Amino acid sequence: MDYTELQVTSNFSFLRGASHPEELVERAAAFGYKAIAITDRNSLAGIVRAHATARQLNDFRLIPACRLDLLDGPSLLAYPTDQDAYSRLSALLTIGNLRAEKGECHLYREDVYQHAKGMKFIVVPPSSLNAEFDFEPIFKNDLATYREALGRECYLAAIRYYNGDDAKQLYRLSQLADRLDMPLVATNDVHYHEPNRRELQDILTCVREKCTIYNAGFRLHQNAERYLKPNDEMLRLFKQYPDAISRTQEIAEACQFSLSMLKYVYPEEIITEGRTPQEELTYLAWEGAREKFGKEIPKKIRNKIEYELAFMEKKNYASYFLTVYDYVRFARSQGILCQGRGSAANSVVCFCLGITSVNPSKINLLFARFMSDARDEPPDIDVDFEHERREEVIQYIYNKYGRDRAAIVATVTQERHKGAIRDVGKAMGLSVDAISKLSESIWRFSDDWFEGKYVEEQGFSPGDAHLKKVFELTEQLVGFPRQLGQHTGGFVITQGKLADLCPIMNARMEDRTCIEWNKDDIEALGFLKVDVLGLGMLTCIRKAFDLAKQHYGLNLTLADFDGDDPKVYDMICDADTIGVFQIESRAQMSMLPRLKPRKFYDLVIEVAIVRPGPIQGDMVHPYLRRRNGEEKEEYPKEELRAILTRTLGVPLFQEQAMEIAIVAAGFSPAEADGLRRSMATFKAKGLVSHYREKLVDGMMARGYEEEFASRVFRQLEGFGSYGFPESHAASFALLVYVSSWMKCYYPDVFAAALLNSLPMGFYQPAQIVLDARKHGVEVRPADVNLSFWDNTLEEKSGNYRALRLGFRQIKGLSEEDVQTLVNARTGKYIHIHSLRDAGVSHAALEKLADADAFRSIGLDRRQALWEVSALHDRPVALFEGQPSASAAETQAELPLMMASEHVVQDYASTSLSLKAHPVSFVREKLSMLKILSTQQINNSKDGIPVKAAGLVLVRQRPGTASGICFITIEDETGSANLVVFEKIFNKYRKEILQAKLLMVEGKLQREEKVVHVIVTRCYDLSKLLRSLTQVQNEDVPVLTLSRADEKTLPSDVYPKGRNFK
Amino acid sequence: MQKRFLSIWFRHLTTDWLTLRRPELKDKPFVFAVPDHGRKVITAANPVAEAGDVTCGMVVADAKAILPELEVIDETPGRNLRLLMALGEWCIRYTPVTAMDAPNGLLLDVSGCTHIWGGEREYLKEVVNRLRSKGYDVRGGMADTVGAAWAIARFGRITPLIDPGEQATALLALPPAALRLDPAIVEKMQKLGLRTISSLLQLQRSALRRRFGPGLLLRLDQALGVEEEILQPIIPIEPYATRLPCLEPIRTATGIEIALQQLLEMLCLRLKEEGKGIRTAVFKGYRVDGKLEQITIGTNRASYYIHHLFKLFALKIATIEPALGIELFTLEATKVEDVSHLQEALWAGKSGLDDESLTELLDRLEGKLGTGIINRYLPQEHYWPERSVKSTPKLDERPSIPWRRDRLRPVRLLPNPEQIEVSAPIPDYPPMMFVYKGKRHDIHKADGPERIEREWWLDAGEHRDYYYVEDKQGRRYWLFRAGHYTGGHTGQWFIHGFFA
Repeated sequence: MDYTELQVTSNFSFLRGASHPEELVERAAAFGYKAIAITDRNSLAGIVRAHATARQLNDFRLIPACRLDLLDGPSLLAYPTDQDAYSRLSALLTIGNLRAEKGECHLYREDVYQHAKGMKFIVVPPSSLNAEFDFEPIFKNDLATYREALGRECYLAAIRYYNGDDAKQLYRLSQLADRLDMPLVATNDVHYHEPNRRELQDILTCVREKCTIYNAGFRLHQNAERYLKPNDEMLRLFKQYPDAISRTQEIAEACQFSLSMLKYVYPEEIITEGRTPQEELTYLAWEGAREKFGKEIPKKIRNKIEYELAFMEKKNYASYFLTVYDYVRFARSQGILCQGRGSAANSVVCFCLGITSVNPSKINLLFARFMSDARDEPPDIDVDFEHERREEVIQYIYNKYGRDRAAIVATVTQERHKGAIRDVGKAMGLSVDAISKLSESIWRFSDDWFEGKYVEEQGFSPGDAHLKKVFELTEQLVGFPRQLGQHTGGFVITQGKLADLCPIMNARMEDRTCIEWNKDDIEALGFLKVDVLGLGMLTCIRKAFDLAKQHYGLNLTLADFDGDDPKVYDMICDADTIGVFQIESRAQMSMLPRLKPRKFYDLVIEVAIVRPGPIQGDMVHPYLRRRNGEEKEEYPKEELRAILTRTLGVPLFQEQAMEIAIVAAGFSPAEADGLRRSMATFKAKGLVSHYREKLVDGMMARGYEEEFASRVFRQLEGFGSYGFPESHAASFALLVYVSSWMKCYYPDVFAAALLNSLPMGFYQPAQIVLDARKHGVEVRPADVNLSFWDNTLEEKSGNYRALRLGFRQIKGLSEEDVQTLVNARTGKYIHIHSLRDAGVSHAALEKLADADAFRSIGLDRRQALWEVSALHDRPVALFEGQPSASAAETQAELPLMMASEHVVQDYASTSLSLKAHPVSFVREKLSMLKILSTQQINNSKDGIPVKAAGLVLVRQRPGTASGICFITIEDETGSANLVVFEKIFNKYRKEILQAKLLMVEGKLQREEKVVHVIVTRCYDLSKLLRSLTQVQNEDVPVLTLSRADEKTLPSDVYPKGRNFK
Repeated sequence: MQKRFLSIWFRHLTTDWLTLRRPELKDKPFVFAVPDHGRKVITAANPVAEAGDVTCGMVVADAKAILPELEVIDETPGRNLRLLMALGEWCIRYTPVTAMDAPNGLLLDVSGCTHIWGGEREYLKEVVNRLRSKGYDVRGGMADTVGAAWAIARFGRITPLIDPGEQATALLALPPAALRLDPAIVEKMQKLGLRTISSLLQLQRSALRRRFGPGLLLRLDQALGVEEEILQPIIPIEPYATRLPCLEPIRTATGIEIALQQLLEMLCLRLKEEGKGIRTAVFKGYRVDGKLEQITIGTNRASYYIHHLFKLFALKIATIEPALGIELFTLEATKVEDVSHLQEALWAGKSGLDDESLTELLDRLEGKLGTGIINRYLPQEHYWPERSVKSTPKLDERPSIPWRRDRLRPVRLLPNPEQIEVSAPIPDYPPMMFVYKGKRHDIHKADGPERIEREWWLDAGEHRDYYYVEDKQGRRYWLFRAGHYTGGHTGQWFIHGFFA
């Protein structure tokens, strides 16, 4: 006689189950079972993983099922017997999900009755008897109602809890079963796959109940019996009730539905005029081609289109491309800028459809590779939209296909080390301090950590058994799903009801619904998903296009740029790229003068090369040397020439590394892809080393050097988490070019658009403004009579139009107040009180005064604030219009503000000052200390010792740079780059982290145009800045200086500097 | 009489306090912090931390980046107020009118007090030095007004002692913050370039009121002495003690009883008014020869019933040796608690532990036999049997959870399980007979097993399988086997309790 386990709680019943679905399936198969059901609480989130695991095993299947926790009755286990029943179950959960907040599901028995057809049910009885050794009458009544409503499909679960009264319970259950004619079925209420997971399950209970293991008490299970038990043991436990065992088979046999039967069907709305999707795609592609290339389509292009279309037909992808085309077209019609990327995006067909703007005649053969890959996976197109308007596209998709047919894919938030140690530590009763110390010590994951090496440094004793237990449990908990979130933009759209396939739930964000499965699950079942992502730079470019149209009469689109203008490349080679997409980071900027991009493909490489993959794989320097002709272009073997010739023999792109694995190490395409995937999740730790062996051995067996082989592997490791395939790089490179072009020809437009799109990118408004002024753009201060919310362009002044700062630059000012101000600005404001009368709030007026925005009324900030303060007490209602009491006041004499004070207040209010740079006021003192300006530094010779000082803009400690800290400082002449090695950093940690005005001593290092100062000493000169606001001779001899009176200016005036992000 | 005030500013109130308690922290940087929106914000830093540029209001993570060795201690809200209260009570030795000045100061009305210490300067020195020698970093300021004294203590740079009538001059050079103003107003003045109080005084009062509100003018006037400011003095709590001096030395037991009776009447009257009752009390007799006689009582529940308390003392009066006579009696309630007022129900006779006659009986038993000999058992939230109950001497402690009724537990649980010989079928069926203390018990009925696992976070070892068994004579026992039956290994069997 055989048993099948039908009540299994996996860790997708968050904080209840203590085993992964995969582990449960594997263990069940190892015990020789033929099937297992996963019954998570009101959720189907874990079944796809279980199904995928089961599918790989011989003669083993997963029974998709669910435990329904009802609000008005005992819980039911539900098992759909066929696909229709499964759809009903999914729909039932959808109803419950949509009724409740995210993460909850509110179901009533009436709902179950309505969806019950084709399902088998098992009622879960209470786990203990009452003092009369019987079940409570209410349960018996509920049971009778279930029996009546659900009929013969309803069973009663018998569970051996080992609580001392098992025999009595089973007896009572069998009595009930007989009386109600409701068959008894054996289950083991499994919570983990092996008994020693009990400890972790206890910890999960503590986390769930927000208590510690010491006071959890009866909320824990009494014993460790909730593990998956072998067949014989189950037979023994239910020896007296053999029918209960055989009925598990009855149910398992009846439930033949498998997730493999789910068929994904693409929506039909995307086609017109009765054409098939393929016909529609062909039609649109040729129409687009004629538009882009003219009547005479070049032969090469024509061939390509034909080839691609044929491929798409073979793979049946037409609908997919049409869906993407559909919402891209919508975005176009709304004037929302978008750009596709991904392996399939850079095809000629996509170019013709307008999905991507990368001209296929500029960049070659990307799609060809996508097709030649025998990888049988769905195409992957991510479309980026302006981040500010992406929601419109999302709502368009919801509206067009309906919420029952379109939903966002879930992301399973996993326990990471920090969170896991926090949860376990808390449950184990560690103090908050101890937990923070522990979690700080794991900033970088390593095996050593679990062995306690870092722990000792933190003042814990590694031999401590309690701590060991904490580590052990943490290790088990890492990788557990913790909650379902929504994917950034992955959509699943279906022809039929989506709820037939998977339960839909509310996302935390308003107006969003998503499904319970994540992208891996979707992929495992062969569903297609489309990505709708947001990208800040597109917002910036669209705003720039708008401004260019308004002020220069240009009609620009992304596809207009051919990527060939030498002037643009001159600028890029000079690393004059503040604000430009992707290549504005410091690492990128120091690469530009070395790489010297001269054509579009160079930009593609530039984008891809400064990434963790190539850096970790040590590919950067060989490439640079070869490019500069310092090293011969070499190929380890001739077979790699075709793959690597574009990048001079050095693998830089993700596809190249994978192709090498295929060609040189004999991987199958699927294996190569599995390899890449396994890198992304360190959960599969064991797997990685298995792949490593396979790759390196495979390559060596084919005659490659071990060094090259392990380099390829290291690079793959880097790609795993930060993949940058060539096709993505190409799409990004276009945006790089467009933004560079804008900056090169219209720095005024570019600066305004960039400022209006903040926050994004690396730079603060101050640097963007400084950079614009350097390029000859006149920047004018915000003013109540001249500014709008956004930054605007005014009449021409010099080569370019003048940039008028907008109110959005003023901290703490609300857009609403600004609208009031602008709407009421019929003529010119002459008095402050007329602004107040117009309805601008008092707080807003104070902010405006702080920002010195009343100059056109003839008041500086101090006078304006004096006036504004009195507005509380102005004539209102009946007396409106009467002269205010201010008029009667004698003119108050306020101290005059020094220029330096103004600058400080400018920074406090708008983070930038057009009047002067704060450092310029202390230049004299700095010069006396022999400190050079950044301009002098950037023009100095290699190797000389220098002193430099400036405001700290950025501090960075990239993970790829072994503890080195990069700092950028700024003064009135520009900015300089500092490099601080770990030892120095630790020594001057306080100065580096705290100084607003940092002074360093060090050695200058110059590599062509790239200049660094290698720091040897640091000083905090922030005190000098304080003098900017101090009136001379104010200091009286000090008796005991208290801290309170040192604060003569509000703290945090200067931007703190970006820290380690 | 000219009013004079002393303001004392504790610059590191809470950190100084902690350093006093934990001297090893003296040279280490440490801070107090409270959680705020998911971050921890520093509320107080000791001088070492301040020297490392860690200040109040900083986020702990930032501070730790600067000073990795920084120790962070959780702030107990209201601790500063409790400290100030205690320090304020201590200061009553210098003046009867002491007031708290939250968050970190004290205000003393010293009018007419200073000459006792030999003048204002000496007085100020005495107060400040005594507080400093206690370990508190303080600054003081004395002036005609509270406001001026406050300002001088915190912002004064020349002298802490402002002569009568000189407060206006002394204030001129101080910043507006010295006027105890809202930080937002101070910031606004900063922006307007009003950096000293003198610059405020140059402006029209109406202009100031319109811009900064009437609060500013009030503070200004208070500091200058135009407006009077009244302190809320601290009133110390009187101890629950009474004394009875005797005209003639008392030598008889009757005399002692009368004295006790009178003292109890005085004390209990006050306790009753304040809703308090005695938990422990001490009755002392001061003998003519200088020796001290005393007896102590304790109760199970706070009580102010003279009769009952008298009875408890009476049990011990015999131990008092009056010798030549006692000239002074005192009665002090060393521990008092709020009396829970039991509702006087119409149907008299309260049951169980609420029965006063029971508690009074227990008080008397303990008075005779010694404390701690009578215990109650309360259920504990543990599966492991040894930990599932705890004993407590307290009568009014409520069980934290109800007694479980769904798991049978023996009436008598052996403190240590005792090993027995058993014959039982494997792997986990109940035994058929067992031998305990040489006697064989044939099992007639049985139920189980109830499997109880170790509480792994407390100890390690084998789980237990418990069985309820009844022998042929109808006696019922609680037996268990330690561990699984696996292969050749049979777990040891034990007896752990007896059912009724």
